Amino acid sequence: MNFEDTDFRYEYLDVENPYDVKLVSNFLKENGYDYLSEAIDSTVILYNLNDELIGTGSYKNQTLKYVVVADKFRETTAFPLIVSYLSDKILADNKRCFVFTKPETSVLFEGLGFKEITRAEPLFSVLEFGYESIKTYQKNLLKRKVETKTDDVATIVVNCNPFTLGHQYLIEKAAAENEIVYLFVVEEDLSAFPFEVRLKMIKEGIAHLDNVVIIGTGPYIVSGAIFPNYFLKLESWNLISEKQAEVDVKIFAQYIVPTLGIKKRYVGTEHYCRTTRAYNEAMKKILPAVGCEVYEVDRKTIGMVTEGENKNCISASKVRLAMKEGRFNDIQDFIPEVTKKFLLSEESADIWERLKFVD
Amino acid sequence: MKLIKKAQAGSFESSDILILASPVEEGEGRDIQIESGVFMQYGETIEKLIHQVLDQFEVNDVQLQIHDKGAIEPVILARMETVMQRALEMQKGTMY
Repeated sequence: MNFEDTDFRYEYLDVENPYDVKLVSNFLKENGYDYLSEAIDSTVILYNLNDELIGTGSYKNQTLKYVVVADKFRETTAFPLIVSYLSDKILADNKRCFVFTKPETSVLFEGLGFKEITRAEPLFSVLEFGYESIKTYQKNLLKRKVETKTDDVATIVVNCNPFTLGHQYLIEKAAAENEIVYLFVVEEDLSAFPFEVRLKMIKEGIAHLDNVVIIGTGPYIVSGAIFPNYFLKLESWNLISEKQAEVDVKIFAQYIVPTLGIKKRYVGTEHYCRTTRAYNEAMKKILPAVGCEVYEVDRKTIGMVTEGENKNCISASKVRLAMKEGRFNDIQDFIPEVTKKFLLSEESADIWERLKFVD
Repeated sequence: MKLIKKAQAGSFESSDILILASPVEEGEGRDIQIESGVFMQYGETIEKLIHQVLDQFEVNDVQLQIHDKGAIEPVILARMETVMQRALEMQKGTMY
């Protein structure tokens, strides 16, 4: 896409330049958006030849953000220009591009060929466009589908950051109670442990179970595109996080449950993290309506106390905290052999290093 | 010929057509999805033109996603040619 033969010219926003940032954030504020320059990769600003600001758009990874055109220029081709320009850039490196927008503006993107995946009134509507879509993902799921005789088809979604005895316990329990278990592993590399490493630990850790199918989540379950706040682990739970969780669960309910014929979703009870706890709540609200029961399994505990406030639940975040503080002995009981082996090996050196610097 | 990489040409603008081409396994055939406001009137013509260019480049296995905004014939042909040249890495002397 180029602007040479149009009535507009464009400029990149220099994030280091306070004047530029102020210009864009004022413009967005007038239109009802709060601009966070940390939450974007690149911003483009469109001017006309009289140097009036026509509109702006940004992206982060594979998600379009803050696409706004000034009121009096909405009749022009500015909007499709900005969107083509940005989606061009995104699609050069990615297979698809996402848009999060208000439900009332989703029709504008649909007019350009974007497809709405789902919406969470009144805040979000999620659309996508590109070489691949959620239909491609569903097709790939069908290839992995295992025909079953009974209705005991379960699923678990795990991040395993890192793989603990708690994860192993949950997966073993589901595998024992069901004919087949689809284990979705979060593919996004936003966690301390990279996807490859997590996948390897999980594969080794559940090698003894033959009715578990491991599947990557793609960008559709707990991903940085759909549910960014999951990875921020914000203490304050707000409406935005709640709606992001709702979008995530709705996609699961609309596209994944029917494709694989899933009847149960297993989750661990959550005592520590508010984001995950609210995510569990969203599941309980939405999934039963599409014939998928949510089973909340009590966490595996270590030590004598198994009830009440003082029980010592296994949790991956406790493992990470202990690693950060260099207390490896404290977590020996939490992790299986495969994780222990990895944490003591050379390969994990940079993960130890990285954990020291996170909060 | 076999597509080397995914590529796109065109834009979302009115009177233009956006074409996304991606390679598929050999023998899977031509998977063409067309979306157009004037599909009822010109769907067949668009399809014919697409196949014409694919024949010209001897491409048999491809996945095409086409979003038409009322492009006229020469535009469709031009966008198709560009996307094929990009996907086959035949294009020289441009930014891509």
